[in-house]
Amino acid sequence: MSKAMSRQHDAQFIPVSFTLNGRSQEIEVEPHELLLDVVRDRLGLTGVKRSCDVEVCGACTLLVDGRPVSACTTLAFEVRGRSVLTIEGLAENGKLHPLQQAFIEHGGFQCGFCTPGMILAAKALLDEMPNPTEDELKHFMHGNLCRCTGYKKIIESIMAAAKKMRSKA
Amino acid sequence: MLRRFRLEEPESVAEVSELLGRFGDSAKIYAGGTELLLAMKEGLVRYERLINVKGVKGLSDVVIDNGTIRIGALCTHRQVETSSALQQKLPALVKLEQNVANVRVRQVGTIGGNLCFAEPHADPGTLLMALGAKMVAEKSSFKREIAAEEFFVDAFETSLEADEVLTEIRIPTPETNSRSAYLKFGYLERPSVGVALALTVNARSISDTKIAVGCAGPAPRRVVEAEALLDGKSTQEAMQNLPAAAVIAGRAAEANSDLHGSQEYKEHIVGVLLKRAFQSLVS
Amino acid sequence: MQFQKEVEISAPREKVWQFIWDVDRFILCVPGCKDAKTIEEGKRYTATMVEKVGPFKVEFPTTIEVIEREELSRIKAQASGADNKIGSRMKVDLDVSLRTQDDKTILGFVAGVDILGKLAALGHGIIKRKADQVLDEFAQAVKQKLEGDS
Repeated sequence: MSKAMSRQHDAQFIPVSFTLNGRSQEIEVEPHELLLDVVRDRLGLTGVKRSCDVEVCGACTLLVDGRPVSACTTLAFEVRGRSVLTIEGLAENGKLHPLQQAFIEHGGFQCGFCTPGMILAAKALLDEMPNPTEDELKHFMHGNLCRCTGYKKIIESIMAAAKKMRSKA
Repeated sequence: MLRRFRLEEPESVAEVSELLGRFGDSAKIYAGGTELLLAMKEGLVRYERLINVKGVKGLSDVVIDNGTIRIGALCTHRQVETSSALQQKLPALVKLEQNVANVRVRQVGTIGGNLCFAEPHADPGTLLMALGAKMVAEKSSFKREIAAEEFFVDAFETSLEADEVLTEIRIPTPETNSRSAYLKFGYLERPSVGVALALTVNARSISDTKIAVGCAGPAPRRVVEAEALLDGKSTQEAMQNLPAAAVIAGRAAEANSDLHGSQEYKEHIVGVLLKRAFQSLVS
Repeated sequence: MQFQKEVEISAPREKVWQFIWDVDRFILCVPGCKDAKTIEEGKRYTATMVEKVGPFKVEFPTTIEVIEREELSRIKAQASGADNKIGSRMKVDLDVSLRTQDDKTILGFVAGVDILGKLAALGHGIIKRKADQVLDEFAQAVKQKLEGDS
């Protein structure tokens, strides 16, 4: 917490204890602060992107308690007592998550802008449905947009990762 | 960036109501925030205070209570779409909820918030109207039920009083032979036309017909005049009256021409969806 | 957006004409309009327009300029205003006409309404409906004020 931060004498601060990529965090936020801004600017994790800013595109997808939310339209204090996962927290000890590996191997990204959100959403999908049909996958991922790939390789990547994850389980 | 506001975190409906009464227009109820925060980000609305209702217990349950299905206003779309009880009793509602916006909005957006914001291009209100739903509005020690037909007044306007809180949606449990369907059409982010149809198929005729149209106009509307052309008729007769009912339903939508389509186009689509809904329920 | 309205008033033409220039009473027939002021008699007026669509509220301090005037039959005026809180501007081109039919006066308006800025995010359809409602209520209010007085 930065003491250099100027405070209005009547500003309201909410203490937020939460887990970020497996680690405990304690911060204070004002009610109006958005999760996207706190994660990017204060916590320095810039994998999550501001794109449409109206919850439509999915580039700001973060997982809160394992479930996808639009960080652009989530008030930061809402993560108190919860666990937050960003793309930076997916790899363990430098080892890529099967989804990340699959996206590389199957060409699931081009410019990479939608990719952090895409992978996190896919993780939430596979946590809920380890063996999704293509229709189930498309329905779940419907809110994650990509301008580069045309989606085919994304679907392939996710299905490949799902297969890998099922064989390991 | 949002403008600064104060967060209030009441723990009872009475407290929420009291806060609304005290602060009037400068305060607003905040649940999932999926509509409210967008409007605030756009600068279209400003509030000095947001009243976080998620701290009030007992508003996010799904209860099957003898002849009534009760859905708490704070149930998220996701809760409704994954409720096995609702899948059994109201599969059309579950299907509708599965298709609201996207998975992130469904995760935090509440059905109550959706109804109260009364954005014209929304789904739940239309089907709830055809299901005979009643909205439970509470303030301090006073509770009342508002029929869906009276709940939706105009675009972004419900009949809730300034200090009233929507706490529950009550739907009469459908009869055995009762069926319902909700069809929607749109290719923009929000739906452009929505039609709900509920009816009971008996041996010789159709009964308890309810038709509601939404998204095309400012608010969901019941179309009693079109219902009369189908209700009490044999399936065959109703089929013959369907084109006429479709035209009436189209007009009842109060469609206006905008980016979603011209008035004529929307009215036409209302008719198409009504016919398809009917065919899906009686075949 | 273009609107066209006509209202039949059971009052003589002169009376309707006079009423139009009675700024305090005429401008206040516009729903949501308050604080009408004359800056230059017959030429320039100001008022505040407050309109609400659900939770969305706008307050336009408005200036009304009379551009053309044909005694007892026609007025061309322009109204414009800006709401800086919500980042929106409004412009209305108004063509008011009077004609006699039997022993009644037909008051007609042709209005070209433009809403620019954030408010347009609400959707063309909703704004059009609201503008239509406002003009309808305006026409009815004028009729009632004039007929009620006689």
